Amino acid sequence: MTSLIRILATGCALLCGIAAAQAAPPPDTLVVGLSADASTFDPAQISSRDNANIAKHIFATLYTVNFEGEIKPYLADKTEVSADGLSYLIKIKPNLTCDNGEALTAEDVAYSFNRPADKSKKFTGNSAGFVFPTLGFKSAEVVDDLTVRINLSARTTLALGMMAQIYIHCKDAYEAMTLEQASTNPVGSGSYRLVSWQRGSQIVLEKVKDPGRFKRIVWRIIPEASTRTAELIAGNVDIITNVSPDQIGAIDASGTAAVEKVSGTRRMQVGYNLSPNAAGMPGAAEIQNPKVRFALQYAVDVPGICSQLLGTTCERATSLVNPPNGNPDLKAVPYDPAMAEKLLDEAGYPRGADGVRFHIRLQGPRGRYLNDANVVQAIGQYLTDVGVQTDVELLEWASVYSPLLRAKKMAPLFFLGQGGVTWNPLYDMSLFSTPDATTNYQSWTDPRWFDDWKLALAAPSVAEARPVINRMLKLFYEEGPWLQLYFQPDFYGVSKRVAWKPRRDEEIDLFDASLK
Amino acid sequence: MWTFIIRRLLQSIIVIFGVTAISFVALQIGGDPTYLYVSERATAEEIQQTRVALGFDRPLYEQYFTFIGNLLHGDFGTSLSYKRPALEAVLEALPATIELTLFAMIFAIVLAIPLGVFAALYRGSALDGSIMTMGMLGQSIPSFWLGIMMIMFFGLYLRWLPISGHVPFLVPLLQGHVVEAFSQLPMALYYLVMPGVAVGFYSLSRNARLVRSSMLEVLGQDFVRTARSKGIPEAAVIIHHALRNAWLPVVTMVGLEFGFLLGGVVVVEMIFSWPGIGRLVFNAINQRDIPVVQACVIMLSVIFISLNLLVDLIYVRIDPRVKL
Repeated sequence: MTSLIRILATGCALLCGIAAAQAAPPPDTLVVGLSADASTFDPAQISSRDNANIAKHIFATLYTVNFEGEIKPYLADKTEVSADGLSYLIKIKPNLTCDNGEALTAEDVAYSFNRPADKSKKFTGNSAGFVFPTLGFKSAEVVDDLTVRINLSARTTLALGMMAQIYIHCKDAYEAMTLEQASTNPVGSGSYRLVSWQRGSQIVLEKVKDPGRFKRIVWRIIPEASTRTAELIAGNVDIITNVSPDQIGAIDASGTAAVEKVSGTRRMQVGYNLSPNAAGMPGAAEIQNPKVRFALQYAVDVPGICSQLLGTTCERATSLVNPPNGNPDLKAVPYDPAMAEKLLDEAGYPRGADGVRFHIRLQGPRGRYLNDANVVQAIGQYLTDVGVQTDVELLEWASVYSPLLRAKKMAPLFFLGQGGVTWNPLYDMSLFSTPDATTNYQSWTDPRWFDDWKLALAAPSVAEARPVINRMLKLFYEEGPWLQLYFQPDFYGVSKRVAWKPRRDEEIDLFDASLK
Repeated sequence: MWTFIIRRLLQSIIVIFGVTAISFVALQIGGDPTYLYVSERATAEEIQQTRVALGFDRPLYEQYFTFIGNLLHGDFGTSLSYKRPALEAVLEALPATIELTLFAMIFAIVLAIPLGVFAALYRGSALDGSIMTMGMLGQSIPSFWLGIMMIMFFGLYLRWLPISGHVPFLVPLLQGHVVEAFSQLPMALYYLVMPGVAVGFYSLSRNARLVRSSMLEVLGQDFVRTARSKGIPEAAVIIHHALRNAWLPVVTMVGLEFGFLLGGVVVVEMIFSWPGIGRLVFNAINQRDIPVVQACVIMLSVIFISLNLLVDLIYVRIDPRVKL
C-alpha cells in the first residue's frame, strides 16, 4: 500500500511539473518567439536584425529612433554641432551606470565609438561595417567627464540616426575581457541585463532600470514558423515574429492572439541590371531604354500581389524613399496592361508574330523575403502577359543569389528587398550615392541623379534639401532602375494578454509593452 | 582482432580526410563567403580587408591545408558567426542531438521487437496486417509532417505535450551535476516525446518489418522445431532460441541507423526548436560558417565510423560464426 501511495505521489508530482511547463508566462515576464538565435553580444560584432533586437534592450545608445520615426536623445542630454557639421559635442546625462555598477562617463562613450573602429581588432559588425562608413566617423574624444566630441570626415544629416546605432558600453569591463568573453558576457548600459543564454533555445533578460515594464523578457528561439504560431496560440509565448501569411487566419481565429500587420520599411523591387555584366543576356539591351523600364511599371498588379500572395493590402511605392518622406506629388503607377502595351509599342518593341516583344530573365531568391518565390513567379507572368516573355529563375539566397548580387552579375531583372528607415529620406536614397556604390546593384549611372545627390548631401538640413530630393525622386519615378513594388508588410502574432505595437523598421521595441 | 581494429582505424582516417575535402570544396563552390560577413554598404576596400582577415584571399588548397594543419593540432578554427571555437559550438550542440537520437532509437527498438515478433507469430492475422500497415505508413510519412501533426494534436489540441523546447539531461550529467541531471530527467523525457517519436517512427517501422521477416525465417529452422519437440515452453523457444538468432540483422541495422539519425535530424530539430547539431549545421551552411560545418562533419564522421566498428565487434560477440 505504501509503495502504491509513493508511486501515485510521484506521478502527481510529475504531472504538476508538466502542467507548470505548459502554463502561460507569469505576469512579470514577456516571452517573445524569434526565428533566429543571437550569434554574439559583443556590441562591436552584432550585425543581424534579430541579434540587434535583443541587444538594444541590453545596451543603451546616445539617441533613439522612436515609434514615429523621430530621433530622440536617450543617454545624450545636449548636442551641439559645429558650423561645418564635422564635430558633434555631446553631453551625456549625469549619474549613468553600466549594469555591473560601473559609472558610465564620457570616457566610456568615446570608448564605445573607438573600440569598433579599431581596425586591428578586425570587427565585422554593423558599427564597423556600416555605421562608421556611412557616418564618416573619424574619432571620438573625451572633453570632460560628461562630454564627448565625435569627429566626422564630412557633413551629413544622417549623423544622429547613425549614432543611434552605436551601443554604449563601459570601458573598464570590456578592457578586462577577451573577445570571446565579450561575445557571451555583455556588460550593458541599457535597462535589461543578460541573465542566461541557452544557445539555440532561449535568452533571458532581467530588468535593472527604466525604461521597461516587464521584469523579465524571455526570447525563445523557434525557427519554424508553424511552431511559433502553435506556441502563440497555446499561450506559451506573447509575441512572435515573421508570421507566415497562410497562418494569419488561424491566429486571428484562435481567440488567444491576433496578428498585427505593419507596412515595413523594406523596399521591395524588381531591379533592372543596367551593368555591362548583364550585356548579352536576353532583355539586357531593352531595359537600357528608360521608356521600356517605365512601361513595365504598368504591367504589374502590385495591389493584387499584396492581397493574393501577401495576405494584406498595400500601397504601391512611388520611389525608393519610405513614406512619409517621399515626393508628395508622385502618384503610384496603376496596374494598366493596355498602357504598358501602348508604351512598349511607342518605345519600339511591338509584339512579334508569336506575340512576343522580347525575352527577358527574372531571378529571385527563395525563402529570403515574404512569399518571395510566388511573388516572383506572379511578376514573371504579368510581364509575359504584355508580351515580354519572362523566364523566371529562383535561386538559393546565401550561396548563390547573394554572391551574384554583390558581384552585380544578376539577370537583367532581379527581385530584391532593401531595408530603409523612417527618419531621413537621404538614408533611403544613399543606396545610389555613387555609380559604383556597392548598394547600387542596378549599376544606375544617370548623371542627373548623382549631381543632385551631392547637392542634397551638402544641405545643412533635410528641409533645405527637400526641393532637390523631390527632383531626384521624380527622376527615379520616371527613369529609375527599379520596377516599383511595395514596402514589405511585416506580420507579428501578439497574445491578447499583452498590449504591444510593432514598429515599421523591423526593430522590436519592448520597453512600452505591458499586460492588458 | 586488434589487427582488424587498427586496420579499420587507419581506413577511418582516410575517410575523414576525404569527407573534409569534399565538404570544404562544396562550401566554396557557391562563391566568396566574405560577402556574408560585411555590411551591404561596405566599400571594396573594407570587403578586401575582411577577406584577408578571414583568410579567404588565399588559394583554396592553401586554405584547406592550413585547416588540416590546425586540425592535427586539435584546432578546428573559430566560428565566423559566433566568434568562438568551432569545436566548442559543436560540442555544445551535440548532447541535445545525442539525447534525441538515443530516445528515438530506444523508442524504435523497444517497440519494434515485440511488434515484429507478434506480427511473425500471428502471420496473416489482423494483428499482423495492422502492424505491417503501420510499418508501411511509418516508412512513407515524412518526419517533418508527422512532427507538425503531433504538434497540432498533442501540443495544441490536447495540450498534453510541450510544442517545442528542450530540457537538458546529458549536459548537467557530463558536467558532474548528477542530482540536477536526474531531477531534470522527467522533464527532459517529457520534452523528448514528440521530437523523439517523429525521428524514431521511421526506424520503428523499418525495424518491426525487419524483425518480422527475420523471425519468420528463423521460426522455420530445424533448431526451433527441435526446441519445441523437446517440450521447451513456447515463450522460451521464442525468446531464447528464435529471437536471439532473428535479431542479428537488426543489430547491424540499428548500429548504422544511429549514425544515420544523428545526421538526419535537421528537419525535426528545426520544427521542435531542438538546439542540436542538425540546427547548428543548417545555420552554419546558410551562413557559410566553414569552420563550424567542418567541425560538424568531422564529428559526425567520427561517430558514424566508430558505430560501424562497434557494430562489427558486437556482431562477432553475438554470432560465433563470424570471424574478423
